[in-house]
Parts: sequence; C-alpha cells; structure tokens
Amino acid sequence: MRYLFNRLVHMILVLWVVGTVLFFMFRIMPGTPLAAFIDQTTTAEQQQALIAQFGLDKSLGEQYWLFLVNLSQGDLGQSFFFKKPVVDIVLEVLPNTLILTLASLVIAYVFGILAGAWLAWKRGSWIEGVGIPLALTTRAAPEFWLGMVMLAVFAFQFGWFPAGGANASGAAWDSEWQRIFSLDYLSHLALPTLTLAIYLQGLPLLLMRSNMLEVLQEEFITMGKMKGLSTRTIVLRHAARNALLPVATAFALGVGSAVGGNVVVETVFSWPGIGRLLVNAVSASDYPLAQGAFLIITAVLIVMNFIADITYQLLDPRVRVATTA
Amino acid sequence: MTIRRRDLLRLAGTTALSSVAFGALPFRAARAAEGGPVRSLTLYSRTQAANPQQYQAAELIAQIWGELGLKVTVQALPNTQLSDVIWYKRDEWDLTMWQMVGRPERSDPDEFVYNLFHSTTAETGYNFVGYQNPEYDKAAEEQRVTADRDARRELIYRAQQIINEDQPYAFLVYPEKFYAYSGAVFDPATVTDQPGLGVKNFWTFIEITPKGDQKDLVMNSSNELNACNPFYISGAQDSWVTELIWDRVMRIGKDGLPQPWAAESVVWNDAATECTITLREGMAWHDGKPVTAEDVVFSFTAPSQDNTAPMYKPFTDIITGIEAPDARTVVMTLDQPNAAFETSTLAKLNIVPKHVWEPLLATLKPGETAESITEESRIGSGPFRFVRWLPQQEIVLEANPEHWAPPKIDRWIMRIVLNVAAGLGMMKSGEMNFMSDYTGDPELLKQAAEEDKDLVIAEAVDIGFQYAAFNCRRPPFDDKVFRRALSFAIPRKLIQNAAWNGFAALANSHVSEALPFWHDPETDTLETGVKIAKAMLEEAGYVISDGTLYYPEGKTDPFSD
Repeated sequence: MRYLFNRLVHMILVLWVVGTVLFFMFRIMPGTPLAAFIDQTTTAEQQQALIAQFGLDKSLGEQYWLFLVNLSQGDLGQSFFFKKPVVDIVLEVLPNTLILTLASLVIAYVFGILAGAWLAWKRGSWIEGVGIPLALTTRAAPEFWLGMVMLAVFAFQFGWFPAGGANASGAAWDSEWQRIFSLDYLSHLALPTLTLAIYLQGLPLLLMRSNMLEVLQEEFITMGKMKGLSTRTIVLRHAARNALLPVATAFALGVGSAVGGNVVVETVFSWPGIGRLLVNAVSASDYPLAQGAFLIITAVLIVMNFIADITYQLLDPRVRVATTA
Repeated sequence: MTIRRRDLLRLAGTTALSSVAFGALPFRAARAAEGGPVRSLTLYSRTQAANPQQYQAAELIAQIWGELGLKVTVQALPNTQLSDVIWYKRDEWDLTMWQMVGRPERSDPDEFVYNLFHSTTAETGYNFVGYQNPEYDKAAEEQRVTADRDARRELIYRAQQIINEDQPYAFLVYPEKFYAYSGAVFDPATVTDQPGLGVKNFWTFIEITPKGDQKDLVMNSSNELNACNPFYISGAQDSWVTELIWDRVMRIGKDGLPQPWAAESVVWNDAATECTITLREGMAWHDGKPVTAEDVVFSFTAPSQDNTAPMYKPFTDIITGIEAPDARTVVMTLDQPNAAFETSTLAKLNIVPKHVWEPLLATLKPGETAESITEESRIGSGPFRFVRWLPQQEIVLEANPEHWAPPKIDRWIMRIVLNVAAGLGMMKSGEMNFMSDYTGDPELLKQAAEEDKDLVIAEAVDIGFQYAAFNCRRPPFDDKVFRRALSFAIPRKLIQNAAWNGFAALANSHVSEALPFWHDPETDTLETGVKIAKAMLEEAGYVISDGTLYYPEGKTDPFSD
C-alpha cells in the first residue's frame, strides 16, 4: 500500500515537472501564435484582441499560475486554432492512433519474440547469418521510404490495399465500433500497420535473442538437457520465459509511447492520428494544444511505466521478494 | 597591393589623377571619394523544406547581389519564427523573401493596392516594408472611392507604375498552380477555369457534371481543416467548405468580377453610398425555414459587435446603416463610396440563419467569440448541405436539390491527403477524382497525364506572388535608386527557371496578370542584369571597389558591422 502511495506521489510530481517544462518551453520558443493569423489580421486593434483572447497579455507568471489551476481541475484549455477544448481534440484522434500503434506493436513483438528466440537457438548457423542483418536492415530503413515502397507495391502496383486515409471516402457507419471492425477500415489499416510493425520488430527481436543467449548459458538449462527434456520444452518453458522479462518492459514502454503516434507513418498514409496533430500544433505555436497533448501522452507513459513495474513483479518472483523485503 | 583595372578606370574619371604617380596613394584617394562600406546583410527566407522554390531563389539572389559587392547571407527560418522577425520586429531586418497568396476576394485589387503600400499600414499592418510615398497613398485612397470601373482602373495602373518606379519589393514570379481531374468521371466542358484561382472554384463545384455512375466528387487537401464555422475563417481550406454551405449576397463571377448571387439585384444610388439588395424569391435554409432580409441584416451586423467575429469586423465596420424595409429587401449605407465593397464585403460574408445563431451568440461570455462556437448542424442556404466532418480525414457535403443552382454531383468530399505522391496514385486508382491541391513537382503530374489519357490537367497563374522585400526604413534601402539597382540585378528568367522550374509567370507588379482587367502590362518590361544594376549604382555615386560596395561620398552605414 505504502509502495503504491509513494509511486502515486512520484507520478504526480513527474507530471508537474513535465507540465512546467512544456509550459515554458513553448513560450520561450521563437515564434508567436499570431503569425498564423497574419494574413487576415490587418489592424493593430485586432492583433491586440487576439492576444487578449489567447490570454497572452497577462504576465508569464500569471499565465503559469492559471495553467496550474486549470490543470489541477483537469482543464487543459482551448486550442487557439480549432477553438475547441484540447481534451476533445485529443480524444477525437486517439482511437485511430491507438489502433494503429497497438496493432503494429503486437505484430512486431509476437514476431520479434519468436524470431529472436529461434535465432538464438540457431546461433552460428546460416540462418543467423541471414536473419540478423535482415532484422537490422529493416530496423534501420527510414519509415517514410518503407511506407512509400509499400504504397508503390501493394497499393499502386497490385491494387490490393487503398493508398490513404482510414475509411473509403464518404463511407458512413452506424457506430464507431462498426466502423472500426469493418473490412473497409481493416484494409486501410493494413499497410500503415505493416510498415510500422516492420520498423518496430527489430528491438524485441534483438533484445530477445541476446537475452536468450545469456539464459541458455545458465546451469538450469544444462540441467534440463541432462534431464532429457525436449528442445521445445527447454526453449519455450525454461529459457524463453526467463528471457522475456526485459522484452516485457520494452513492450509496456512501447505501448506508452504508442500514444504519441507516429508522425511519419501517419503522414505517408494520411492516417488520422495524434502525431500529425502535435506537429501542426507546435508549428502553429498553438500552446494549449501542444502542451495539453504532450501532457496527456506523458500521463499515459507514466501510467504504463507503472504497469510495467507491476507486471515485472508478477512475472518474476525475485523482484516481488526484493520489493516486499 | 595591386591596383585593379576597375580602380584605375574609375580614377581616370576623377580629379584625383595627379596622385597616380605615388603608387599606393591612388587607392586611398579613391576611398576619400566614397562613403563607408555597406554592411553585411541577411536575406531571410522560409526553410528549404517549407518552400524549396523560395529558398532556391534566395540562394541565387544572394549570389547575384554578391556581384554588386554586397555580402549577403541567406538565413532560412520556419514560418512562425520568420513572421516573428519580419512582422513584429519591423526595425530590425534588412531583406526577406516573402509571398502574398491568392484568394477569391483578392480578385479585387483593392486589398493588395491599399494594404501593402499605404503609409497607414506601415506600423502594424500589411506594409511591413515601411514604404512611404504620399503620391502612392493618394492613388490608393482614390481608387477606393472611385465607383466608375474604367476611371478606377487608371488609378490602379497609376499605383502599379509608382511601385514599379520605387521598387519596394523585387517582385519575382506569380507561381503557377496545378490541378487535375478525371476526364473519365467528369465532363471537362462543365469545369470552369476562374482567373487566378484555376479550376478549383465555386462555379466548378456547382456545375461539374458526372458522366457515369460515379457521382461523388472526391478531392484532396494537404492541410487539415481548422473549423467549419460561418464566422471563422482560419485557413484556405475552411473557406473552400464554407462558401459551398453558406450563400453570399454576391459571388466573384467567372470573369473575376463580383455579381449578384443570393441577391436578385444589387442597386447603388448615384453617389454610390447606398445599396439596395433584393433577395431571390423562395430562398430556404437547409432546415426548411425561409431566408429573410432579417437574416441578412443579422449576418452583417453581428460581426460588428465587439468580439463576435474579429476576422470579419473590418469588412462590416464600413457599413454605417443597415435596415430591412421588407422581407426581401436590405438597404445598406456607407459614409463614402467604396469600390471594393462588393468584392470584399458583399461577396465575402456568409449569410447566416438568425434563428440558429442569435441564441448562440447570446450565450457568449466576455472574452469569447463566435469563432469558438461549434454549431453542429451547420445550417446554411447554399448549394451544398453539411453531412459530416471526421477530423484529419474528410468532410462530406451533399447536394441541396432545393437550391436555385443545384449541383450536378451528389456529394462533395474533401479528403485530407498529406502525401502528394500517394495523392497522384489515388487519382490513378480512383480513390480520388479531383486533385485540388497539388504541391508536388508539376513535371510528375504531366508525366502521369501522359500515361493516363483520362487525367485532365489544368494550370492557373496565381493572384498571389513571390518576392524579395527591402526594409525601406533602413539605409541603404531607404534610397530608391539602391532598391532599384538590387531589383534590376536579379535575372527574373533565371529565377523563374532555376527556382520554379519554369512553372511561374514573371512578376513586376502587385496586381497579378491573372487579373487582366486590372494588371498594367507596361510594368512587364523590366530589363535586368548585373551590368545595368552596376551602372545605376555608380551613377548614383555608389562605388564598387575590390569586391565591396561603398556608399556615395559623405554617407556611412548607420548599422555598420
């Protein structure tokens, strides 16, 4: 209980620090939100009105105090440009972001873990000679290039998948669930997911492999072999389970950062997502939207980190004992 | 120390000839006849990623000005940072690349002619270069109150000639824009090419006729939509949508001039200070209620209230009186004639349903504006009805068959497509059939059209233009001759080809050739070249010596480095 409470205080502290850094960072950055309105703003009066409307006529300290007060009430403010509450805007794009990033994470980790374990077992064979460079190459390939290749081949050459967006143009659905589980949505999801998965699989694969190699040196593996256990049982039940721990942490953190979206993949496939939202917000100096969205992402990341710690305890009794003692 | 031929030649023309015999002395003597050196200069530009053409042009220009003995460094900044320097620190910069973009309401020259160079807009308005010329102010003011179109054109010509003479900008090009649509889906004869705007315009969207079963027009936008609100325009994309949902009293016609739209007639009194608007009969809102003169009065008075629609306020503030004598008639009074009123007010403001918006405006708290209201029904009276908007994905409108000008297509769909190359592929695959926002290489588009005979390409010269701006507040740019020389040094043809790949028209006026009625063709003949520029500078007393440019005798640089 005490442990949980400590963690909670710790989390709030981190959020406050991140919020403060964000608040000042965006305001210190050169550029002004008025710039995006210059084309329409003709008079000095109008500019003053905008400044007042954005609350930028107050002193920095005052603005910061207001920001903290609102934040403590869960109010992240209103976007300068969309003229809507930040939370609404973020929640609008979050589902699509999560579906894309989580789907590719799961594919990447399932594939990466299996392939990593297998490559470790095949250490020294020609399979490793081909497999490792291949994993490294796909990991290092720029995402936009990978995305364009996918588009050129699967969308334009074969015409198997649509080239962009999340739904066919003009398609209407009765409910959000129906939309997400429609064949149309899934076919739009395929290419961006695959692109992102190919990019992501390198980490779990290499991590799994090196952990496996370490675990396979341990005495209990030798013991298993002596007991005459089958290869499958040794690799999966004994070695893989132990090697999985760091990969589980990486996965949980991956899920956390997945909330931030992936601006490159979102742009290449015109996929609606939070990455695009953030880039636009930052480049237009939309302070409330930018800091609000980053703050939400931070919060999710912190929570996922916390969950990762807890899972660790569940997966590994040794950690559990260490904390309680 | 060597004496250059150039120095000797110049010396030959000076009275200091006697000192030649003393070897090193002539150099010093030459210095005495010239002022201080011109400081090193920074030419600002957008970044290469944001505007590759502009950046390329900046690099070339810096190099060319180098030949005049100037040390010019190009500094690229992201858009907001650039605006921060140029727009808000007006005394602190020397040179910048800049652009003005075309919009439908800019097909009246008033906005550019008045705002860009009138002295009253120098402090905080559009005249960010700080250009001052009473003669120009006079022409700009007069054209505004001259109702007779031909007489006004003379004044617009005059304004262009003054700018040509003074060169506060070194105009470069009017960029060409490219559009494409599927000739297999739509009948090309029903597509309108509007001056300065190209085929993506209001008239095309209500008249374009499908050939077969595909009755949806699916077009792209490379920018997100910010809002869909008749009182809030925050980007070009927003206005493409609002102009279809909400009617306006007038519209910019196919010829680029305003014509009655929701009005059956717009009649002016002889003094051109009072206009009587008669609405069409039988107009209805999308919810079935009739459109009345009261709605029109509401639409033109609401923005004038404080903090309702700040973007529209300047356009309605000039109306001094407005009333609705009967259900179809609106009478507006101005305190003086305003030649741009039809274009910049009557053809710009949306007619908004009073029964929907009046209660909403009443709920506004201090500091809030109508811009922050999300009115979900988006009821207008225009040729298209709002269906849905999925942020970052698409906005869907459907034809309004009850309208007096019913569209031929069933639905108008704008998809947000950020990847230009994918957009081209989508045109081929049929996922899209109208390329309304092509930001890629025009050459690629032409190749695609060669491979696919159904792809129709349309190009249009922009109303907007690209230029290098001189800060007229700071020496040496306060000297007209100096600005002229720098402007004349730029080989426009080279810039057009090297930076814009030839996809642009040469510019030397703030009234684009896309507006043939207003553009003065006399300004088109600009002789350029470094030689001409050097001759101009030397005639005015500037001295280029040893690769450095010096002020005329007696002048020094107030900002010397």
